[in-house]
Amino acid sequence: MPDIIGGEAGPEKEIILKVENLSRTYMQGKVPVHALRSACLEVRKGELLAIMGPSGSGKSTLLALLGTLEKASGGKALLDGVELTEVPEKLQPRIRREKIGFVFQHYNLIPTLSALENVELALRFSGVSKKERKERAKALLEELGLGDRLTHKPTELSGGEQQRVSIARALANRPALILADEPTGEVDTKTRDSIVRVFKSLSEKGQTIIVVTHDPDVAKECSRVLRIVDGRISDRKDF
Amino acid sequence: MFDLIVRNVTSRKVRSTLTICGIALGIFAVIVMGAMSENFHQTFERSMGVTSDKIRVFAESGVFGGGLTDDRVSDVLRVAGVKDAYGLLMTTFDEDKMGMTGKQILGVPPEKSSVALSPVELKAGRFLSPGDSYHVVVGSNIKREYGLGVGSKFEIHDKYFNVVGVLDYTGSIFDNAVIIPLETAQDLYNVGDSISYIFAVPDERLDAELLSKRIELSVKGTTTLSPGELRTQAQQSFMIFSVITISSGLLAAIIGGLCVMNTMLMSVAERTREFGILKAIGAETKDILLLTLGEACCMGLLGGVLGVLVGIGAVGLMNTWLEKTRIVLFLITPRLLIIAMGFALFIGALSGLYPAYRASKMSPMEALKHA
Ligand SMILES: Nc1ncnc2c1ncn2[C@@H]1O[C@H](COP(=O)(O)OP(=O)(O)O)[C@@H](O)[C@H]1O
Ligand SMILES: [Mg+2]
Repeated sequence: MPDIIGGEAGPEKEIILKVENLSRTYMQGKVPVHALRSACLEVRKGELLAIMGPSGSGKSTLLALLGTLEKASGGKALLDGVELTEVPEKLQPRIRREKIGFVFQHYNLIPTLSALENVELALRFSGVSKKERKERAKALLEELGLGDRLTHKPTELSGGEQQRVSIARALANRPALILADEPTGEVDTKTRDSIVRVFKSLSEKGQTIIVVTHDPDVAKECSRVLRIVDGRISDRKDF
Repeated sequence: MFDLIVRNVTSRKVRSTLTICGIALGIFAVIVMGAMSENFHQTFERSMGVTSDKIRVFAESGVFGGGLTDDRVSDVLRVAGVKDAYGLLMTTFDEDKMGMTGKQILGVPPEKSSVALSPVELKAGRFLSPGDSYHVVVGSNIKREYGLGVGSKFEIHDKYFNVVGVLDYTGSIFDNAVIIPLETAQDLYNVGDSISYIFAVPDERLDAELLSKRIELSVKGTTTLSPGELRTQAQQSFMIFSVITISSGLLAAIIGGLCVMNTMLMSVAERTREFGILKAIGAETKDILLLTLGEACCMGLLGGVLGVLVGIGAVGLMNTWLEKTRIVLFLITPRLLIIAMGFALFIGALSGLYPAYRASKMSPMEALKHA
């Protein structure tokens, strides 16, 4: 059986995400707010990319656009062969299922479901059979060290455990890209370190991850750090 | 997906219970009102079935205006196409109860008692025959209520009658009929040779509606009620009754529906963030619709089952209690159960529609930002 998390990380890593002039403008009443201004970046397969920036600088907006949770005002983003900005609304759920996994600051688990069921849920929408769902969800949770927490409800789990459940959920559909928005924002340093270790090991196995963080200790563990200020972000030399 | 729906209903116990009770109350009303209507309907259909071949001839001044006497029978008989005709005197059995029990004294010429009652058959004994006077044939309800049998004595208007026959159960007005000879009835109530109406039996080949018109034209001072007219008239009163019963049931059920809608709106608003999560992990619009609508339907269904069960119980209790007085009876039919359950589901689905739409239309990012 191939490794459940990620795939083989080859020496020649291809570019899996290519963002060009991605922008998003919100209207706050009649005032336009440029949350993201012509973002340009390239991410290689297996990279663990940290994005740092002050509050309100557009980090969540960038992730929302990459995750097709919001529509871009302009620009392009090519993820694993899919032009995200051109995916019709009807197909967005499918892209989210097949290409993207989200990890949130507040864990965002469904409170009425157990750890196992929360992970299963992501597979349910993909139409995976009940038996396979169970097996895959269980294997993922076990791999993340939660083998003895399968039937626990989110309220019965610690913050770190909840976050690992949500990482397992994000991984369930073997996405091309994991988007983590301040995943360590609410946990103590010990838990933070364990989450970072999980991300690092995933990335070593070839999983591409973008982590938004305020925490320099998190950033320094990543393979690359980009800064975003006032909606501007770029990895180009001429920026 | 079904397990998720059930989970959502059961995880908010108090709220779900209240909502389900709201629906149950509505469906309970539908069942009770409907059972009343169904009973009425059945009696009506059966009564129609047993009197459909006869034309009723009244005095123009109405049933209670008097004016119709025995000698008019021969006038009616003389009309071409009338095979047979005879007068009947009808009066309520228990005057002190204003006829509320539906029990009726029917005075018929003894030799006509069999045809007048046809196709109702005897369960025991015989019909009246010429020469009978203080003899009586009773309907099945009367028999049961007074514990009568062939040979028992039965007191009517301070006189004792000999029970000679008992009718089969029909589910019609004849179950509450007390049939005595016409002349005895006229004496008993001191009405001379008055009759309430004349039954005219048309020739087989003749259209009853046509003959009905002909009698009206040929016999002065009469008005007729053909089987068709009788049916229409009865249907009209039945309609009014149905509208009243059904609409009060519906009203209750709609209130139940508003309960569900309110609960679902609350629940959707409360779970805004949850819908955002579901969308982020790839739920389709139809998944969200299914979850929300399913939850509403589930509550509708549970409320329906509860309402139907309690309704059946209550109707059973009331029927047992009313057995003694025989004023109204409730009848639960499969049709009524299907309607009630269907309605519960419909109410659930309908009131879940808007909340479901709201949930499915939420922008995922907005929903995720929701506290
Ligand atoms: N739905 C929205 N409507 C209007 N303005 C928004 C909306 N979402 C975000 N913004 C604005 O866009 C900017 C960037 O927001 P965000 O991406 O959430 O920042 P960050 O995650 O870096 O803190 C902020 O100024 C914020 O107020
Ligand atoms: Mg943010």
